[in-house]
Amino acid sequence: MGFWEQFGIWLAALFTIGIISFLYKDNVLYKACEAIFVGVSAGYWFVVYYWDMLYKKFYQQVTDPVNPEWYPWLGVILGVLMLTRLSNKIGWLSRWPLAFVVGATAGLYMMVYFVSNAIVQIQGTIVPLAEGTAGDIIANILVAAGTFCGLIYFFFSKEHRGAFGGAAKIGIWFLMITFGASFGYTVMSRMSLMIGRIDFLFGRWLELIP
Amino acid sequence: MIFGKSLYCSFIIIACFFTVATAQNEAVATVDSVGQILPQPPGNIIVADHKYDNGGIIDIAWDRSPDDPLGIDGYNIYRACGDGDFEIVAFVLPGGMESYSFIDDKVERGESYRYKISVISSGGESFSESSVSVRGDWEFFDLDKLNILILGIIVCGSVIGFIFTARAGRKLFIRKISGLEALEEAVGRATEMGRPILFIPGILDMDDVQTLAAITILARVSRIVADYDSKIEMPVSRSLVMTTARETIKNSYLAAGRPDAYYDDMVHYVTDEQFGYVAAVNGIMVRDKPATCLYLGAFFAESLILAETGNYIGAIQIAGTARPGQLPFFVAACDYTLIGEELFAASAYLSGDPKQLGSLKGQDVGKFVAMAAMIIGTLAVTVVSAWQFKFFGWLSDLMYSMFSTN
Amino acid sequence: MKRTIPVIIVSVVGTVLVLSVFFPPVQTMGEDFSLFFDIIAVFAFFLGGGNLVRIHLVKIYRKRPDWGFSVVTLVGFFVTLLVGLGKLSVTGVTASVTAPDSFLQTIFVNIITPLSSTMYALLAFYVASASYRAFRAKNREATILLIAAFIILLGRTPLGMKLTGWIPEWLSILQIPNLAVWIMNAPNLAGQRAILIGVGLGVVAMSLRLILGMDRTYLGSDND
Repeated sequence: MGFWEQFGIWLAALFTIGIISFLYKDNVLYKACEAIFVGVSAGYWFVVYYWDMLYKKFYQQVTDPVNPEWYPWLGVILGVLMLTRLSNKIGWLSRWPLAFVVGATAGLYMMVYFVSNAIVQIQGTIVPLAEGTAGDIIANILVAAGTFCGLIYFFFSKEHRGAFGGAAKIGIWFLMITFGASFGYTVMSRMSLMIGRIDFLFGRWLELIP
Repeated sequence: MIFGKSLYCSFIIIACFFTVATAQNEAVATVDSVGQILPQPPGNIIVADHKYDNGGIIDIAWDRSPDDPLGIDGYNIYRACGDGDFEIVAFVLPGGMESYSFIDDKVERGESYRYKISVISSGGESFSESSVSVRGDWEFFDLDKLNILILGIIVCGSVIGFIFTARAGRKLFIRKISGLEALEEAVGRATEMGRPILFIPGILDMDDVQTLAAITILARVSRIVADYDSKIEMPVSRSLVMTTARETIKNSYLAAGRPDAYYDDMVHYVTDEQFGYVAAVNGIMVRDKPATCLYLGAFFAESLILAETGNYIGAIQIAGTARPGQLPFFVAACDYTLIGEELFAASAYLSGDPKQLGSLKGQDVGKFVAMAAMIIGTLAVTVVSAWQFKFFGWLSDLMYSMFSTN
Repeated sequence: MKRTIPVIIVSVVGTVLVLSVFFPPVQTMGEDFSLFFDIIAVFAFFLGGGNLVRIHLVKIYRKRPDWGFSVVTLVGFFVTLLVGLGKLSVTGVTASVTAPDSFLQTIFVNIITPLSSTMYALLAFYVASASYRAFRAKNREATILLIAAFIILLGRTPLGMKLTGWIPEWLSILQIPNLAVWIMNAPNLAGQRAILIGVGLGVVAMSLRLILGMDRTYLGSDND
C-alpha cells in the first residue's frame, strides 16, 4: 500500500474517532474535526457551485459560439442585485431577487404538491373495497378509514370533542402506527452505518479483521 | 422428344438461373460493398406532434428491426428540418422490444420535420424510409389537466372565500395547536434563563416550500424574541437562507421598536454540506447551551442527531417538518412537534390575523372535499366492482377521471 | 415602493408559474426558474462565504475562546478554494473539477467522506437513546408507537421469524415478518396518506397567502 493511501486511511481513522468522541463529550479532537469539516466542505461546495452553475450554466451558455443564449443574463442581474445587500444605501434592492425566489417557489410547488400529495393520494385511496382476499378487503377498509380519521385529526375548524374527537383520536393512533413503522424501519439501517465505521476502524485501519 | 427434353432442360436451367439471381439479389440487399451483412432496417415509422406542449416536442415511434436484439448495437435517430439534410439527433439502445419510442424535445415550433431511423450493428448501418413530415404545434391549454384545474379552483376558491369572510368581520374558530401555543412560553423560558433561542430552518434552500414556511414562522418568532429582549441564534446551511433570514429578523426587530438590538451575526452561514452543518450545530448546542431549540423546515437524517443533542443539553424543543420519514424522530425526541400541514399553517396561526386564519378554513374545505371524494369514490367503485351495479358506473368513472394525474 | 415592488414580484412570478402547469406556452418557465435560482444561489454564496470568513477572522482577531479552530476552518476553506477554483491536477478548463484523480476529489474522498459517514453513523447511538426515552410508554399513543416500531424492527431480522415461526400457516399473518409487511401496507399507508394530503393542502394555502400578498413575513411586515 502506498504512502498516500496509508496516510488517507490514518486521516480517515482520526476523523472517525474524533467525531465518535463527541458521544462522550465535547473535546479538542471533535472541535478540530468540526473545524476541518466546516472549512473544507464549505470550500468544496462553493467550488462545485462555481464550476457547475456559474461556469457551465451561465458562462458557457452565453459564450457559446454557435448558439449563445441571452436569458442566463437575467439570473446574473438578479444575483448582482443580491450583492447590493452589502450597501446600506441600495441594500433594499436585494429584496427583489429574494422576492423572485419566494414567488417562484410558491408558484412552482403549489401545483406540484397539490397533485403529487393531495390528488395522487386521494386517487390511491379510491379502490374497490370488496375485491381480493379477506386480508386485502380488511387492508383496503383500514387504509380508507385510517386516511379519513387522519384527515379529521388535522381539521383546524373544529375542536376535538365528542364523535369528532373520537375520530380524531383514531386518526392519531394511525399516525402513531405510521411513526412507529418509520422508526422501526430505519433502526437497522442506522445500525449498519455504525457497523460500517467499526469495520473500517478494525478492518482497514488496524487490520484486525481479515 | 429430344427437342422437348432440351426445351425442358433449358427451362430448368433458366429457372435455376433466375432463382440463383434472385437469391443473389436478396443477398445483395443485405451485403454491403465489402461483403459485410447489414442488419435489416426498422419499419413503420410514426411521427406525431406531442399533445399539449409549447410546440417544441415531437413523438417518434418505430417497429424494431427484425434482427433486434441479436447483434444490434442500437438505433440512430435522424432528423431533417424542412427540405434540409438529415442529421443525427439521438441514439437509442436496443431492448428487444417490439416497438420503440422517442421524444424529440429540441424542435422549433412551427417548423416541419422528417425522421429516419437507422439500425447499427457490426455489419454496418441500415436506414428506414423517411417518415412523413410533421410540424410542432402548440396548444393553448393542456386539456389533460382540466380536472386538476377544477380541483385547484375549488380549493383555492375556498381559501380566498374564507379570507373574504374573515375580512367581513365574521369570527372564525381555529382549534389550538399545542406546539404553537408553547412557542411564547419557550421564548419566555429562554429569556428567564438568560440563554439564547436556537432556530434551525432545515437544511434545504429557499426553493423548498418547507424552508419558506420556516422563514414565515421565523418572522413571528423573532418578533416575540425582540419583544422579550432575548437572543436568537440561527446557523444556516444555505447562503440564500441566510440573506432572507437576516432581512426577516431585522424587520421584526424594527417592527418591535428595537432596531439597535439586531445584529447581522444572529444569522450566520456554516456550510452547505449536510453533516458538516450538523457537526457545527451540535458544537453550538453543547457550547452555547440554548434554552429553546426550534427545528422548523426540511430535515433528513440529521433530525435525530439535532433532537437528541437538544435533549442532552436540556433544551425545550419544538420541531416541525412535512417529511413523514423524519416526523417519528421529532415526535420521539422533542417536546412538541408540528406534523405536516401544521408547519404550513403555523405562520397564519401565529399571526392571529383573521384573514390569514381564514386561509386555514379554506384548507379544511380541501380536506372535506378529499374525504367526500374518498367516501363517494370508494363506495361507487366497490358497488360497481362487487355487485356489478352498473348504475353507479358513471359515478365511478367520474371519480377516477377527477383524480387522475395523466 | 421598497416593499411594494417585492410584493408585486412575488405575485406576478408566482401566478405565472402556477399557470405554467396548465398553459403550454409558458411551460418552460419552471426550468428557467431553476437556472435563475442556481445562479442567484452562487451569488448568495459570495455573501455566505464572506460571512464565514469574517466571523472566523473576527474570532481570531479578538482571541475569543477556541480561536485556534477558526484558523483551521479558514485554512481548510481557502486551501479547498484554491485547489478547486484553480482546478489543480485537472487537465483542461472543460474537464470536471470532481474528476477522479483531481486534488479536489482527493479532498472529498479523504476528508469529507469519512467525516460525513461517521456523523451519519452516530445515528445508531442516537436512535438507541431516542428509543429508550420514547418507548417508556407513558400513554396510549406512545404504546402504539412502541408496538408498531418493535414489530417492524423484528420483522426485518431473522429473530422475528424465529419468534413466531411456530404459528400455523392459516394464521400466517400473525407471523412477525408478515405482520410487519401488513402494517407497512395498511395502517402505515393510511397515516402517510393523511399526512401527505394535509401537506399538499397546506402548501396550496401557504403559497396562496404569499402570492396574494397577505403574508409578507419574508419582508418582515404583514401590512397591506
